[in-house]
Amino acid sequence: MAEYAHGFRLDEGLCDGCLACMRVCPTMAIRVKHGKALVLPELCIDCGSCLKACPQGAFTATTRTLEEFDRFAYKVAIPSPVLFGQFPLDVRPEHIAQGLLAVGFDAVWDYGVEMRLVTRAIVDYVEKWRGPRPVISITCPVVVRLLQVSYPRMLEQLIGVHPPREIAGREIKRRYSQELGLAPDQIAAIYVTPCQARTISIMQPAEGGRSYLDGSVGIPQLYNTVLAEAREAATSAPPGGDWDPVRSAVMLRWSTRRPLADLLKRQRYMSVTGLPNVIRVFDDIEKGKLKDIDFLECNACWGGCSNGNLTVDNVYVSQAKLQSLMRDLPDADPQTEAEVARRYPHEDYFTERAPEPRTRVVVGDLRERVRRVKEAERIAAALPGLDCGLCGAPSCAVLAHDAAAGEAEMSDCVFISRRRLEELRRLHHDHAT
Amino acid sequence: MAEELLACCYKVHGRDFDKGGETSTEIKSLLASLDLDPQLIRRAVIVAFEAEMNVVMYALEGRLTLSITDEDITIEMDDRGPGIPDLESAMEEGWSTATDEMREMGFGFGMGLPNIRRNSDGFDIRSEVGTGTVITSTIKLDGDG
Repeated sequence: MAEYAHGFRLDEGLCDGCLACMRVCPTMAIRVKHGKALVLPELCIDCGSCLKACPQGAFTATTRTLEEFDRFAYKVAIPSPVLFGQFPLDVRPEHIAQGLLAVGFDAVWDYGVEMRLVTRAIVDYVEKWRGPRPVISITCPVVVRLLQVSYPRMLEQLIGVHPPREIAGREIKRRYSQELGLAPDQIAAIYVTPCQARTISIMQPAEGGRSYLDGSVGIPQLYNTVLAEAREAATSAPPGGDWDPVRSAVMLRWSTRRPLADLLKRQRYMSVTGLPNVIRVFDDIEKGKLKDIDFLECNACWGGCSNGNLTVDNVYVSQAKLQSLMRDLPDADPQTEAEVARRYPHEDYFTERAPEPRTRVVVGDLRERVRRVKEAERIAAALPGLDCGLCGAPSCAVLAHDAAAGEAEMSDCVFISRRRLEELRRLHHDHAT
Repeated sequence: MAEELLACCYKVHGRDFDKGGETSTEIKSLLASLDLDPQLIRRAVIVAFEAEMNVVMYALEGRLTLSITDEDITIEMDDRGPGIPDLESAMEEGWSTATDEMREMGFGFGMGLPNIRRNSDGFDIRSEVGTGTVITSTIKLDGDG
């Protein structure tokens, strides 16, 4: 069986078996056995719901600290546009860029250019696409993994265009190795990320192969120091004198709820945020509905990337700040447009292959599988159907499925056996009193 | 004849646009729990959904029977409804008697029956005007169709 790396760690010592993570997991990938959470790696899609839900902080995102990149000679930050909505409004994007330099980055990348380049590539791709519609965006790694696990036949509908962060990573290596005379592997392209899912998409890209990026640093890890340095820059530096990473609304729009709505004018466009909504829309597509949509943008986090689990501010507050920033900005700026016109014809934006489905673990021949399904139905009929979760499975149906497969006991149900209740009392009563 | 391993029956109500599509969702989760090839599951779901929507749009009620042997999946939709007077035209892409209201809801573009046939390895349709229609679709378990 393939090993799947995930973007978080579970500290068993901190886990007290409280069931919170199991209840929120959208793919039902968590069981709680003997008072400890257990993640089924082949079902996990790295959405990070468990990180947010755990009251003990037993799940932690595996992002890096900036010091871990010290082995590189030159460190370049690629700031997610979400970052610019995380600070008080008087801290402007140019101050945040200076803050990033002050905490140890050698350069802050002009990321708006890749947003425009990739938008052009997306329009080209969607116009030429002759396969089933809608074409689905590839930016959210959780959505890509959801397709791999639950909708493998729709993987061909994922757009074959690299996300902007990957194009940026490639260009950073090329440009700085030329300018500074360094080897590409001495230059670190580091994404400043709003979620741990981006981290795992860099460590283990869904389509296989290697990411152009060297890693990511979560926004909370940099927040306090960047804020202090940015405030310092805001008071000391003359206004408008420094390089501004956000010259037009193009870049910030990527972190709003309908990022490409205005840019994909000719294509019929739909944007869906929040994993339960994404799942409902994917179910419809699977039945053959929604063929009249050309491009479907999906974000696992409700409200978009500003609601990622490595953000600091509330999604509504940060969206309001981004809107306010965008109001003062032009739709396009000549410097970005000139760079896009220069680069677009010379670069390749299209991915070589679609991500593969997750390997299915098929146990037994069809006859045996039918027997298990019938057995699960029989067990489910005897369970209360209340989905209380006290058995350690997220629903009665899942317990029935696990029991039919020999991975759980019907007597794990507190309605069926007192043994389970007593076990729970032993595990939880002590620290409840 | 291969031995039947599993058979399930679902009732579909005509004009119930609100619940239309639920049967094919149930069928999808059943086939997924059997760990069948996702490609086969997708075809079966499309067949079930189109057959279900035909009943929702045109008939009074229908009974969908899903049966599985170790060789194939068979989906049969037996409806009580107006029947189809001109079967040959009904099997042509784009031929439809849907009302504007149905089209506004995104159905009735004359792709239903052709879509069922395209996703089936075996296909049969019998219809009696004033009585109803029986559609039988078979999807082979080993081949890709």
